[in-house]
This record gives sequence, C-alpha cells and structure tokens, in this order.
Amino acid sequence: MTWHVQPELLARYIGGNIDEAQAFSVEAHLPSCAQCRGAVAELADGARLTSTWEGIEERLDVPRRGPVEAGLVALGVPGHIARLLGATPALRLSWLLACALVLAFAVFAATRREHGLYWFLVLAPLLPLAGIALAYGPQVDAAYEVGLAAPMRSFSLLLIRAVAILATTTMLVAVAALALPGLHASAAAWLVPSLGLTLASLALATRTSALVACGSLAFLWVLVAGAGWRLAREPLLVFGAGGQVVCALVAALAALVLVHNADSFERRGDMT
Amino acid sequence: MIADRTDAQVLSAVADGDRRALRVLYDRHAPWLAVRLARRCADPGVVDETIQDTFVAVWRGAGRYKGEGDVGAWMWGIAIRRLIDALRRLPRDQVLVAEVDDRRTVEEEILLGVEYGDLGGVLRRLSPELRAVVQATVLDGLTSREAGRLLGIPTGTVKTRMMRARAQMRKELA
Repeated sequence: MTWHVQPELLARYIGGNIDEAQAFSVEAHLPSCAQCRGAVAELADGARLTSTWEGIEERLDVPRRGPVEAGLVALGVPGHIARLLGATPALRLSWLLACALVLAFAVFAATRREHGLYWFLVLAPLLPLAGIALAYGPQVDAAYEVGLAAPMRSFSLLLIRAVAILATTTMLVAVAALALPGLHASAAAWLVPSLGLTLASLALATRTSALVACGSLAFLWVLVAGAGWRLAREPLLVFGAGGQVVCALVAALAALVLVHNADSFERRGDMT
Repeated sequence: MIADRTDAQVLSAVADGDRRALRVLYDRHAPWLAVRLARRCADPGVVDETIQDTFVAVWRGAGRYKGEGDVGAWMWGIAIRRLIDALRRLPRDQVLVAEVDDRRTVEEEILLGVEYGDLGGVLRRLSPELRAVVQATVLDGLTSREAGRLLGIPTGTVKTRMMRARAQMRKELA
C-alpha cells in the first residue's frame, strides 16, 4: 500500500475533529493498512486500553455457563445455586436423552402388549429415583467437592437437586404418558407412587448413601408391583385407590423423617 | 516471535487457545476499533464494553475466520455488530447513527466517484441523515436492518434514505 493517512489528518480523526468525507476515507483505509493502524495505536490512551484488556481477561477466566445453568440464571435462580444444579448428573443432556429413550420404549411396548400400561406405570416412578441416586455423592458428582465447600448445607443441595430432577423427569414422563394409546386417567397413576418413592429415598439417604437408598427402594417397588399382580391377579392393583393412599402415606411419613433427620445427613457428609 | 507474525497467523494461534496471541491482536487492533466505534457511539463506557465483547467473541470464534479478506475488516464486522447489540440494551435517545441490500452498486458508484468526480464534495452535500445511512451501509457493511438498529430508525426508512442518497450522488457525479 503506497497511500497512507497524513499524521495531521489521523490526529484530527482520533480527536473527532474531521469532516465526514475525510473520515470516510480514513475508515475505508484503516482495516487493510497495518502501518496506519500502528499510528493510531501510538496515539491511543494506554491506561484506558490496559483496563479494558483486564476486563477481557477477567471474562475469559470465568468458566462458560452450560445450557442448563444459563437457563436457570435467566429464570432468576442465583448464580451459585444454578452452578451446583447445572452440575447435577441427572440434568445433563445425555441423562435426559436416556430417560426419553427408555420412555419411548415403554410407550412403544404399551402400544404392542396387553399389559403395556402396567409396565409403563411401574417404570415411570423409577426414573426420578435413578436420577436422585446419581444426584449427589463422591462417586457420581463431578462437583462433589465444590458442593462440600460451598456455603450451603449438603442436604439442601441434595434437596434442591431432587426437586429439579423430579420436575424434569416428571415433565418427560407426562409427555410420554400423552403418547400412550387410549389416553386414560389411569395413565397418571404413577404420580403419587413416584412422589412417595422419591421422598422415601431422600429420607433413607439421611441414613445411608443415596445410591443404596434408591437401589433398595427401586427393588422394593418392583417387588410390590409384581406381587400385587401375581397375588391379586390384578396388574393395576398397586395403582388403584388403596395403592394411592398407601403411597401418599409413605410420602407423608418420609417427609417427616426427612425433616427430622436432616442434620444427620450433614454429619455423615463430612466423613465421606 | 509472535509479534512478527501476520494478523492471520496470530489469529490462528488465538484459535488454538493462545492467550498471548490474543493480546498481540488486541494491541494491534483495539486502538483503531475503539476510535472508529467512538465515532458511532458517544458513550466511552459502551465503547469499552463493546471492545471487550469483540475480543471475547474473537477468542471464542477465531476459528470462524475463513482467511478471506483482511483480519481488520473481519474484526470490524464483529465490533460494529456488538455495538448494535450493546446499543439495543440502551434507551433509544443515546443512540447516534442505518442499510441497503444492493450495497454492491453503491460501492461501485462511490469508487467510480473517486475516479471521475468530486466524491468528497458529494458526501459533504448529503444531508447528515443520508450521510449516516451511506456510512452505515457502504462503509460499515451493515444490512438495512442492522443499520436501522444502529441509527435508531426503521428498516424501511434506511432503504428510502439510501435510495435518495444514491439518486443524489448519481446526479452530482454524472
């Protein structure tokens, strides 16, 4: 490039003391001329550029928010809670996709098999349970140590995550239930058992690890649901009025235990 | 030495996650970008914030530079759009400056003007409103819609003003 902006013109351009036509030609020239850009840099306010650069470095040092975390912050959840929730294994896309796949199979089975609805109802409460089993603990949580060090009770964290997991999985199952053939009120019969199982698992988690608590409850659930079918010859027995009442009672009892035992979870958390 | 490398080479180092390369790019480009932005936005705080947005975007999107055109022009394209985003978050009255789809033709006309006529005089005789639209469209390379956001006027107005500016310039350069 042989043409360059005259120093005097450049100084007037930087000072904003230039007419539009001349500014046009300077601005058309600068993007492609390293020499004239260098001349602008020499006349620039160094202190202001340094402080702007520090702002850039600060922003680059902050880890980027994932989609879950960003969404939560947009909804008004405080940043630190959003980060701990965002790290929940059961809120990852892979987990949600796995749930959706399992549900798709269950719905498919329900359309093909005689007792499809039964299998769907047995399966539905197991999904949030599995999510909670993997919600908190040294083996499964990438942010476990962060959670221990956070100025927040470990148990509160588990509860917050449990609520988030329950909400997302319930939404997924509800959508799947809409896809069931011959939509019927009984397709919602999993709601109360799901709540009972979730609360019971949280109550148990105050005594043992979430993994063991959820595992044993899942086993118990399948056993009871299977026994109901075998003994009473009625597959949907557990989901009838009696079953619903029992589940609601379990939920209420578990909630009481939960409140009562919250502190012991904290102490155990220190040891693991 | 990284300081001896061309902008394109430095940019590819940035794409590989080299923070020092970003600093080199910053030292080379932030000053003129800041001056140019300041001509389109009177608030120095917004200009500094836009510079930060631009370099954060360059850091994350350095791989998207295809090697076509000047790195300087590429960075200006990012900066002016970040400025529009920043201005959109501000009250309307703080905005200073507009767009057209067939900007190729306008550019050609202006280039023709440089060669055959008194372009400076023609630009000077344009009304400030028309000149702002020519600047945003021809010089800043914005679309009608982006220019409208920058200038705080509807897209349709940008198009009408660009048409009038083009007609006037054509008449005077003929």
